[in-house]
Amino acid sequence: MRAAPVNRRPLGRSALIAAGLVSALALAGCQADEPQASDEPVEGGTLVYASGDAEPTCLDPHVGGNYPQALIAGQFLESLVSRDDSGEIIPWLAESWEASEDGLAWEFTLRDGVTFTDGTPLDAEAVKVNVEHLRDPATQSSTGYLAMGKVERVEVVDDLTARFVLTTPDSALLESLSQPWTAIQSPAGIARGLEENCEAPIGTGPFVVDEWVKQDRVMLVRNDEYSSPPADAGHEGPAYLEAIEWRFVPDAASRYAALQGGQVDVIDNPQPDTIAAAEESGNLTWLDAPRPGASNRIELNSGQAPFDDERVREAFIRAVQVDEGIDALFFGTAERSYSALSSVEALAYSDAARFEPDLERANELLDEAGWTERDADGTRLKDGQPLTLRFPVSTNQSIPAEQSLFEQVQATAKEAGFDVVIDLLDLSSWYGRLFANEYEIVSAPYTKVGPDVLRILYHSDSITPAPSGYFANLAQLDDPEVDALLTEAAAESDADARADLYEQAQQRILGGYYLLPLYDQQNSFLLDPSVRGARAMPTVSTPSFHDAWLAD
Amino acid sequence: MTPGSPTEPVRRRRSTARHAAVLVGGAVFVMWAVATLTFFAIRLIPGDPAQAILGGPGSQASQEALDLVREEYGLDQPLVVQYLAMLGRLLTGDLGSSYALRVPVADLLAAQVGGTLLLAVLSLALAWMLALGLALWSTGRGRIAAAVGEGVELTAAALPHFWLAGVLIAVFSSGLGWLPPVATGTPAGLVLPVVTLAVPLAGFLAQVMRESLLDALEQPFVVSARARGESTAGVRLRHTIRHAALPGISLSGWALGWLLSGAVVVETIFAMPGLGRTLLQAVTLRDIPVVVGVVLFVALVYVVMTVVTDLVARVADPRLRQEGAR
Repeated sequence: MRAAPVNRRPLGRSALIAAGLVSALALAGCQADEPQASDEPVEGGTLVYASGDAEPTCLDPHVGGNYPQALIAGQFLESLVSRDDSGEIIPWLAESWEASEDGLAWEFTLRDGVTFTDGTPLDAEAVKVNVEHLRDPATQSSTGYLAMGKVERVEVVDDLTARFVLTTPDSALLESLSQPWTAIQSPAGIARGLEENCEAPIGTGPFVVDEWVKQDRVMLVRNDEYSSPPADAGHEGPAYLEAIEWRFVPDAASRYAALQGGQVDVIDNPQPDTIAAAEESGNLTWLDAPRPGASNRIELNSGQAPFDDERVREAFIRAVQVDEGIDALFFGTAERSYSALSSVEALAYSDAARFEPDLERANELLDEAGWTERDADGTRLKDGQPLTLRFPVSTNQSIPAEQSLFEQVQATAKEAGFDVVIDLLDLSSWYGRLFANEYEIVSAPYTKVGPDVLRILYHSDSITPAPSGYFANLAQLDDPEVDALLTEAAAESDADARADLYEQAQQRILGGYYLLPLYDQQNSFLLDPSVRGARAMPTVSTPSFHDAWLAD
Repeated sequence: MTPGSPTEPVRRRRSTARHAAVLVGGAVFVMWAVATLTFFAIRLIPGDPAQAILGGPGSQASQEALDLVREEYGLDQPLVVQYLAMLGRLLTGDLGSSYALRVPVADLLAAQVGGTLLLAVLSLALAWMLALGLALWSTGRGRIAAAVGEGVELTAAALPHFWLAGVLIAVFSSGLGWLPPVATGTPAGLVLPVVTLAVPLAGFLAQVMRESLLDALEQPFVVSARARGESTAGVRLRHTIRHAALPGISLSGWALGWLLSGAVVVETIFAMPGLGRTLLQAVTLRDIPVVVGVVLFVALVYVVMTVVTDLVARVADPRLRQEGAR
């Protein structure tokens, strides 16, 4: 079944990424590829995908709205716009768009002749129904609901023109609409009701949900009428693959063994050591696709002692050493970040000097801040209180390598007199700690397209808990100047002015020592070399198999 | 209620009807206790079921959505009212609906139970074969065989499922490429999961079997059988194997329940659909009706198996059929 590996020559990391992104548009600078004999796509075949993410409880990403849903929904649902490798917003289901002078009305012109897989035409009415679906409490939407927060209503101008009317200008509207959580579904599908729509949402995508066998697999079959790829796709028309068998394989070692044995063609969430092993062996393709939005970082809770004192925050950041840990534990697969934003965000601002470890300086700062005593274990004391940092860690979100890295954080912080108490928790319990404000440091991922994620994570409004108890500003950063910059940036329609505002905001956020960036939010796929043309979407880095084919 | 000594008078003999009534009453009590404990235990761990319904922990659901869900599922009621409502439903045989998957729990269990039971029954059968073989081979053959047998049993019984599964995958999937690491419904896919569950269980079973086998071999009937001219193998197969099997039979009820809990690990590692994974997902999501449903089912299996093994043991051992004796 499995052909001999095509390429046993070890490739550099960038070359491999490029090989993965065989759409190759980025490489060829938008010129057509020179076709090589072996690069002629082959029609047919079933690709087996093994996902390590949790099995969704509903395949409609409007409902709830998490990453596992986005992973699979990208195979059968499409959004109004997409993003290319440079971060530019590009046409998808919408051909073009225009904002009004005051930024309060956006008109989207839809691509003509697109139909959902149930035969319903894609029109302005469908867009309206989808936005209403997202805003309806009965849909139980969380992510998509937030993304549509500034949209008051959608008006049907004509068949193919939908007007979004906003309550306030939103420079992140296009980025929000590029995400799978706001994808456009058939109104007839939505009308079937939540339960039925969860089983098999109906979209315009290259594949159709055929069957969902719980805890086992989702069978996706080709949409033979497919006609609406995003502007950066490798080809027009239906997918090459006949079907995708989407399996749920929670155990990382089994997933990798199944890929090695040729039982599956693609796996997600490979552990760093297996990526390194795959790289070494040279007969698997590594697709490195960091998620957009925030970087993975440790947030310092500035809302209470001891981190309400900037000197103590800086001392922690100067004391902690993570570089060697990242190298060793991630086997060179993760690059150190010095930014609050993911490296895929064009507006990410980095400041390495800010995070230079300096134990001596850390000790000075702590002495200055009054943490002068030490107990028998070397933990600093102030007024008899130990310098204890509670660090709840989610085992669902932090892979073993990251958990080990946090132990190194603990060990290096100890030298300066911090007593870091790591608590490994399941997701519900972990959120429980955060909601109860029982943490001094925490690491929480946040995936969103575009720099507006900064507003969600660092605007003081995000300290106020949502009705569910959730709040995103875990650093509890409360700075009117940061608020003003982020609010202004969110309403700024001029690209340069917006970039400038985001840079100022990031400088101020990093300058206050509220967070310790670690690396991009890791997101990788390992592919059998027979899989060609697969890529990760430049939106939220979910895999796309429209251009994919199986070489024999 | 405890069985008296063999010298107790005849009035100790219970009628079949009474025996059955006690069994059923006990079963109902166990089921009620299990449902109650599970219902309250899952509320002791942090996590809001309304959030489980609204896209899992950390959801940013609106107040309207939360209110709507709390009302729909009765989560706005006091805990006691919710508990009584659950008992009422259970009495009518209604397990309720999954919060996360929005389908009846009964349907969910029905879809998953087959795979898990097949896995458990095959594992139990393999464990029996391994245990009997080991016990028969290692007894009455001198010290070395006994020591080897004992060592193998202890080691096997101590093997954790996740470790054994990892080793089996490394050797037979990654290394030799003989068997798939992900069970895809084919017979080949079942081999590694079944072996993973069977080996530690075989260790347990063999330990108890060997002890009773040793006892049996010292019984006078063995001597008289040998005196009649039966061969060693004949004695073992015709006479002592029953003795060896007895504690194994009694343990099998416990073992099946134990296998169901082992299924949580094995199903996850080998990516098999089944009750174990259903339970794991439900606990993670605080999907209370599903957790209660799975736990009740496992309890039911324990109860039924206890009754069945009790009856089978009576068939295998005539002494149990005599009044008062136990």
